[in-house]
Amino acid sequence: MDFRLTDEQELFVAGIRKLMAKENWESYFKECDENSEYPERFVKELADLGIDSLLLPEEHGGFNAGAVTVAAAWEELGRLGAPTYVLYQLTGFNTILKYGTEEQIQKIMALHGTGKQMWNSAITEPGAGSDVGSLQTTYTRKDGKVYLNGHKTFITSSAGVPYLIVMSKDAETGTKFTEWFVDMDKPGIKREKLKKLGLKMDSVCEVYFENVELEEKDMFGTEGNGFDRIKEEFDFERFLVGCCNYGTALCAFEDAAKYANQREQFGEKIGRFQLIQEKFCNMAIKLTNMRNMLYETAWKYDNGQKITGNAAMCKYYCANAGFEVVDDAMQVFAGIGVAGDHRISRFWRDLRVDRVSGGSDEMQILTAGREVLKKYR
Amino acid sequence: MRVISCCKAVPEEQDIVVAKDRQISFEKAEWKFGQYDLNAVEAGKQLVEAAGGQLSGLCAGGNILDNSKMKKDILSRGLDDLYLVIDESLEQADTYQSARVLEAAIKKIGDFDLVLCGAGSSDLYAQQVGNQLGELLGIPVVNAVNRIMPQGDKVIVERALENEIQVLEITLPAVLSVTSEINVPRIPGMKDIIAANKKPVTKFTLSEIEVTNSLPSSTVLSTLAPEQAERRLTILEGESEDIVDAFVKLLRAELK
Repeated sequence: MDFRLTDEQELFVAGIRKLMAKENWESYFKECDENSEYPERFVKELADLGIDSLLLPEEHGGFNAGAVTVAAAWEELGRLGAPTYVLYQLTGFNTILKYGTEEQIQKIMALHGTGKQMWNSAITEPGAGSDVGSLQTTYTRKDGKVYLNGHKTFITSSAGVPYLIVMSKDAETGTKFTEWFVDMDKPGIKREKLKKLGLKMDSVCEVYFENVELEEKDMFGTEGNGFDRIKEEFDFERFLVGCCNYGTALCAFEDAAKYANQREQFGEKIGRFQLIQEKFCNMAIKLTNMRNMLYETAWKYDNGQKITGNAAMCKYYCANAGFEVVDDAMQVFAGIGVAGDHRISRFWRDLRVDRVSGGSDEMQILTAGREVLKKYR
Repeated sequence: MRVISCCKAVPEEQDIVVAKDRQISFEKAEWKFGQYDLNAVEAGKQLVEAAGGQLSGLCAGGNILDNSKMKKDILSRGLDDLYLVIDESLEQADTYQSARVLEAAIKKIGDFDLVLCGAGSSDLYAQQVGNQLGELLGIPVVNAVNRIMPQGDKVIVERALENEIQVLEITLPAVLSVTSEINVPRIPGMKDIIAANKKPVTKFTLSEIEVTNSLPSSTVLSTLAPEQAERRLTILEGESEDIVDAFVKLLRAELK
């Protein structure tokens, strides 16, 4: 198998390296993390390099550059300490182009290249987590208008996005799951930002909709097609989370390796001790596994193969193996890892969240397990 | 305005290894374009963006210049087209040899208004090629240029001297060497990288530009890294006279 990148991919990655070396981004990330702020200035610079156009089709000014390019870019960004989790919106443009109306497309594409947050899906509710079908948010048609009522929770990016695409069911029969493109400036919407453990540069909120007046033209996709629409997104999103986790683990690993080669105890560099070497051996194995799994999945995706099982495995494996690598790296750093302000403690908090967010470990196992067995039916 | 920016391929300095016998090894070094030359490309790009025209790149060097990634790399930085003079002997060329090759290539390329060079090459940093090239072409040449403003058939340039800024009006065509402070070269995005693929590249051999061999002005006999001295790790803290005396005493002892 040929793992070499193309000239274009290598030059793009070199550009990322240059951008990351341009200033002390770490102090900016630290500040954004502490204040739970979206690192818009950073995302804007990435957008200038074309990162939000990588997957866009050529007719929309994109590069149709494929998942391998995304994996390579995420790997380098992560390795250099960047919070790639804030870039999940990359695929958002494609979703809007595929399902959106002309008006919806115009609203979202106006944000293209700006680095600003644009939209996210609002699905989860207090009583509907992994069990999406139990959601209670409804839409009611009355006098030619549509009224949205309900309570969403843990909605990623919802403090910063101008639009949410809200999953709801029809109030009459409760059987049609339909999405609505909701302008967050509309009356009747209340957001309450939640505190969280990690991934703090992106927000999560409780979002309340009380008789929010919509029109038929605000429907996203077709009536009753909501679940199928979101299912389609899951695969790539899960793959992308895997890329984030891997990149962050790689950064922690490199930080720890440099430290182990320099820190002295008992008159020796700690990297000379076998208990430390064992950690690095295991970290390197996990990183290699993650990398191979992600690049294989990316390659399959770029070659038009179905990646449902692979993507679920990427999400599950990378969230766990990535966390273990960061945790081992933290152990190498010892006191510095848990007190003071080394970035490793941020990585540790971030990666722990990814075992829950974007589909829990358990849901990934179910998906991957089913997909594996399907082949032998 | 037709601008030609000159660039040199150099080994990545971070990859250069000093062996135990103090020999310098370039074996593991990747190739790249000199960082000061990227200022010349960026300055050319900004001129063409402001005044219109065409920006060409000109490189003279060894076979590495034929590497597809190297060509895309330099083209992605805003060039409209690229001219290469490739000959293995050019990898070791001194400043005068380089200037002669560039002169011949520029004459072959044809009309131009401005030739831009970096402050110096990233490897040897002799800072000579720009001045020698201007002399060989018989046109005005100015180095240490910190700002370029196009004005009809002239350019106004600023040079940062020790205590003042010198402003010069220069008739075109001319050769200018720019400082590393003149701009921050932009990072090529995916769009620039993809566009680089479609830009024209012209290759010359030395005979095609009619350069006859000239002897180098000097020959390198050996290059050795400085001998590593063991650090004494003597640290004196404080500002008192006694401390200063002790410091001077230590220095004196070392210099004996």
